[in-house]
Amino acid sequence: MGKAVINGIPVEFEPGMTILEVARKVQVRIPTLCKHPDLPPSAGCGICVVKVKGSNKMLRACCTPMEENMQIITHDPDIVQARRTVVELILSNHPNDCLTCGRNQNCELQTMIADFAIREEEFKKIVPNLPVDNTTGTVVLEPPKCIKCGRCVEVCQNMQDVWALSFLDRGVDTRISPAGDIKLGDSPCVRCGQCSAHCPTGAIFENDDTTLVWKALQDSEKYCVVQIAPAVRVAVGEGFGYEPGTNLTGKLYSLLRRLGFKAVFDTNFAADLTIMEEASEFVERFVNKKGPLPLITTCCPAWVDFMEKFDSDMIEHFSSAKSPQEMLSALAKTYYAQKIGVDPQKIFMVSIMPCTAKKYEIHRSKEMFTAGNQNTDVSITTRELIRMIRQAGVDFAELPDEGADSLLGDYTGAGVIFGATGGVMEAALRTAYYFVTKENLPKVEFEAVRGLKGVKETTVTIKGTDIRIAVAHGLGNVQSVINKVRAAKEKGEPLPYHFIEVMACPGGCVGGGGQPYGVTDEVRRARAKGVYADDESKTLRCSHENPYVQKLYQDFLGKPLGEKSHHLLHTKYQPQPEYRK
Amino acid sequence: MTSVLPGSAAVGEELVMAKITKEQLDGIKAQSVGDSGNWVRVGMSTCGIAAGADKTFEKLTAQMKERELEVRVERCGCAGKCFAEPLVEVAVEGMPVVIYGRVDENVAVEIVDKHILGKKLLNDHIYSVKAG
Amino acid sequence: MVKAFKKYVLLTDTEQGDPERIKKIHDLFLAVLRVIGGDEEIQVVRTSDVGIYGRGVVAQILPDNIFYAGVQEEHVRQIIEEGIFQQKKLEAIAFEPKDKQLRIVLRNCGVIDPERIEDYIAQDGYFAIHKVLTQFTPEQVVNEMKISGLRGRGGGGFPTWMKWNIARGVTADQKYIICNGDEGDPGAYMDRSVLEGDPHSVIEGLMIGGYAMGATKGFLYIRAEYPLAVERVQKAIIQARERGLLGENIFGTGFNFDCEIRLGAGAFVCGEETALIASIEGRRGYPSPRPPYPAIKGLWGKPTVINNVETLANIPVIFLKGGAWFASIGTETAKGTKVFALTGKVKNSSLIEVPMGISLREIVFEVGGGILNNKKIKAIQTGGPSGGVIPEHYFDTPVDYDQLQKLGSIMGSGGMIVMDETDCIVDIAKFYLGFCVDESCGKCAPCRIGGTQLLHILTEISEGRGKIEDVEKLKRISFAMQKASLCGLGQTASNPVASSLKYFYEEYKAHILENRCPSGKCSRLFRYRVVEDKCKRCSLCQRNCPVNVISGDREKGFVIDAAKCVKCGKCFEVCKFGAIAR
Repeated sequence: MGKAVINGIPVEFEPGMTILEVARKVQVRIPTLCKHPDLPPSAGCGICVVKVKGSNKMLRACCTPMEENMQIITHDPDIVQARRTVVELILSNHPNDCLTCGRNQNCELQTMIADFAIREEEFKKIVPNLPVDNTTGTVVLEPPKCIKCGRCVEVCQNMQDVWALSFLDRGVDTRISPAGDIKLGDSPCVRCGQCSAHCPTGAIFENDDTTLVWKALQDSEKYCVVQIAPAVRVAVGEGFGYEPGTNLTGKLYSLLRRLGFKAVFDTNFAADLTIMEEASEFVERFVNKKGPLPLITTCCPAWVDFMEKFDSDMIEHFSSAKSPQEMLSALAKTYYAQKIGVDPQKIFMVSIMPCTAKKYEIHRSKEMFTAGNQNTDVSITTRELIRMIRQAGVDFAELPDEGADSLLGDYTGAGVIFGATGGVMEAALRTAYYFVTKENLPKVEFEAVRGLKGVKETTVTIKGTDIRIAVAHGLGNVQSVINKVRAAKEKGEPLPYHFIEVMACPGGCVGGGGQPYGVTDEVRRARAKGVYADDESKTLRCSHENPYVQKLYQDFLGKPLGEKSHHLLHTKYQPQPEYRK
Repeated sequence: MTSVLPGSAAVGEELVMAKITKEQLDGIKAQSVGDSGNWVRVGMSTCGIAAGADKTFEKLTAQMKERELEVRVERCGCAGKCFAEPLVEVAVEGMPVVIYGRVDENVAVEIVDKHILGKKLLNDHIYSVKAG
Repeated sequence: MVKAFKKYVLLTDTEQGDPERIKKIHDLFLAVLRVIGGDEEIQVVRTSDVGIYGRGVVAQILPDNIFYAGVQEEHVRQIIEEGIFQQKKLEAIAFEPKDKQLRIVLRNCGVIDPERIEDYIAQDGYFAIHKVLTQFTPEQVVNEMKISGLRGRGGGGFPTWMKWNIARGVTADQKYIICNGDEGDPGAYMDRSVLEGDPHSVIEGLMIGGYAMGATKGFLYIRAEYPLAVERVQKAIIQARERGLLGENIFGTGFNFDCEIRLGAGAFVCGEETALIASIEGRRGYPSPRPPYPAIKGLWGKPTVINNVETLANIPVIFLKGGAWFASIGTETAKGTKVFALTGKVKNSSLIEVPMGISLREIVFEVGGGILNNKKIKAIQTGGPSGGVIPEHYFDTPVDYDQLQKLGSIMGSGGMIVMDETDCIVDIAKFYLGFCVDESCGKCAPCRIGGTQLLHILTEISEGRGKIEDVEKLKRISFAMQKASLCGLGQTASNPVASSLKYFYEEYKAHILENRCPSGKCSRLFRYRVVEDKCKRCSLCQRNCPVNVISGDREKGFVIDAAKCVKCGKCFEVCKFGAIAR
């Protein structure tokens, strides 16, 4: 523990802490536009400068480690003057589109300009004339709004290991772009949207599909149905002043009915179904030796995209089970349509996801069209839903709780934990255990797969047999796991794992690229806590216990991995080039 | 050849024998002709070459060969007088050692004619004098 | 067989005003010699420039090496009869020129063949590394460096021993030493000349540094725009390897060291240590925050020392002659010599090496020969684009790190550009700033946007659209850039603006308030016109105007159509009567 003084206040610190972090301990917030708690400092914006006694320079608080006996001044006229000028300079390089910008009222730059009470633009406006890039249809790049904080590049290259985004050119012409100045849609981008979740301004933004939803809702010919993903319910409240992790499932159901959806389903139901298929697949491969191990989960579309581009040699290891979103949509337009006697062509399926990649998944291959037309018509993110709620004029906080529509709405505790890293694995293990032993687990929690450690490895014993598993989240953590498998396969050594879960976003879907802004590990933990609490509150906590899932198999599908399942609930994978063209 | 741990001096007999010794270094130094005899030296750094030193060098080499003169034509780096490139230092026994500047091919021939053969310093081209 | 002369009289006009003056004296010498005899024994030669200035006609008698200054026609006979024939020194006009230069770094440049290792060895090359390896512990090397007082010559002036010592104190399985040859200041070519003229001295310096800090691997980071330097260094490395001077167990001491070249792709910012490391690692040349300092965590995360070319070339000499010897040269805080590329409006653009502490005036007038075309000097820019302008008023300041910094400039890597009265200060500030704006890596906002905004304001001022409030903006942005930029490039990019504002505020005011450029450089601020009463109606201006906007004839006189004039200045130049005003 070191000792230092900040603004005359004595403070203690752990070695390695930065001035920015330690200042928080004495209630001092040093402003910054580039530092994000998730990411190492880029030192780009130059706003967090402070004075340190003994140095005639100003130092960046974000990246300067505390030293013993440091005497730091964080605010004085000189410092404020330097900061203010830098903020004004950044403003001079940024368009004045605030009113029509997607980040209006939720923009770090806008907030800072308001805080500094900048009322006049003294410097010449130098805004680059660069085209908007919406070639992915998921995340939109608007380079003129970029303040070159470097977060997206750091996220894309190091956190996610995708390397789609980089800086091109230099000096005032510096801009974010895929290397080689190609379009994002032709780049290795896997649409995880983490760039958009970390962007302080409106430079990277989810492709807003809410107008499509409004249009469908207003179309009397359409029979609009909706599903909400597990991680949405514990994050949507952040848009309305709730603490992260507050579970608003009941309010969401009633809200969606108010918006005009004729049926409100829950993706959690399909998560239970996914487990039925995926756990069966695992048992087939593990017990009956039909198919290669390890089995790798495929609920995450960004991960599927990543794998098809970078790890296509692993395709045979991929679970062929579709993601819950796609399973639910396929059933809504077949099973449900039959049950209620509605023409499937008229059903319009909207999914509300914590995810930008889901916008891509809904048309990623022909298997997503098996119910006649595109199974999921529109996928919107949590952030888009928040905007819809505000537009609809609904007092969200005051809404009564309601239930989901049955057949595709009820879920077990296993379904909801899909929203957090390790959740799919945990849910699968609960049911796989049952499939192998025909008994339910005495204790359903698998603590070893929970939490925010990048790669979680553990061994689970079912009936005396060890199952080695790995759970990775954040694409940057995946390669080490896959490489272990590769090495073992090459050398003919025993497999390091039998079952691997991957989620592209750190923390899993709770930390998804389409979730409300301001995500940190603290927020991820809180949201995951909300998901696990929902699980605990359920009487039924294993997917195979879901009575509506059982009914679905009885009435419609037959059995897991059966012919109908194969047609509606499973998919295929193709190697994709990292760069198109 | 055995490899040696980086930076390690304590590997003992594993050590590869040095290819050079202090004695050899002394030997090379002793063998050097240095500044003895007759020679011309052309400044052949980028600055000199940009001003045409390579042509001057070739001309001088050709001249010595053509006229069968025992004068070494050497190259060297930048002598510093950038404003007067190309620079040619001329040493003829019994004469002062001087550096001529702005030596194009014509002046190079003049140096051979007048300085080396005629034992006369050239007018209006001297930029440095080394006493002697 | 032609016989050499016994004596030589070398005549130099050290003022170079009237080319006839020297000819007259030369002719007189010849005539006198013919009359009194001796033209067989004595050659009288006109030189161009021998590095002596402001002494009238100077006669150097060889081989006696006696100098006479201010030689007039009346001295000629006396010099011949008394000075040469009677071997008497004519005290009245005798003088001893002092060489202001001292060549340590450049000791071998222009002397040895850089492509022959034997030439280097003949000049005691590689004797220093032998001495170090056999007589010094790494700690003693650092101590010797401390005694020498050598500070980094790349610009920052950080004590070299301290860098080495920090890296020496870190335990690591691998350490690196890098030679920074990414010279990029406009008008600077010190490092190129050393790399091209004496590559082995840099390699030997690198080896000594490697030994001191415990590095077995060195890199020479050289910009790709220096192909000849790269070629010569590459040859030098190969020759040193062939001789066993690089490789394993050097001199049988167990010391292993090898080095190789890495090419820089021409980004100025890559001369900054952390950006240079990023560049070698194959990443975008972006600086990163410090700490961690490269000496602790540098190239590929290993302790890394980066020394400039000139710094390294000093090191073998320090160990041959001793740190104390080196410390005896220079000032209290700056030891040794400094190489400068002296360019601009100076008479003799040259690569010079002078002891620290010499004054700027001595450099310009006694080494550089004064100002081109005998114009009035205005200022000197030191430190390249990171430096500042120093007005003539301060030319007696001794050159060292602290003194120059006090004046708002820096020592920098050694670019020294002389400006005369025809140079406009706003234009100069624009030039340097434009360089930094072009070379800004774009990582941090103050430098990226601040530089661009400064440049915009300066352009407005130079084109007659400046406002007096702009001066405050210039100061405000400069302050933010100095304080909030990440690396040295941004922190110093505004120095030319700040220092020129400080010393030449009147000139800025003239641009802003009077729409006038006192140097006549800012073409938007003046119009050419014919001054009636001076015009002799020769029509030269009309005939030379490339855009034919001068109307009139030899009877009516001439008028320049200001609206169509492109302000090329041709009429102004060709008029023999000063009848074109601007």
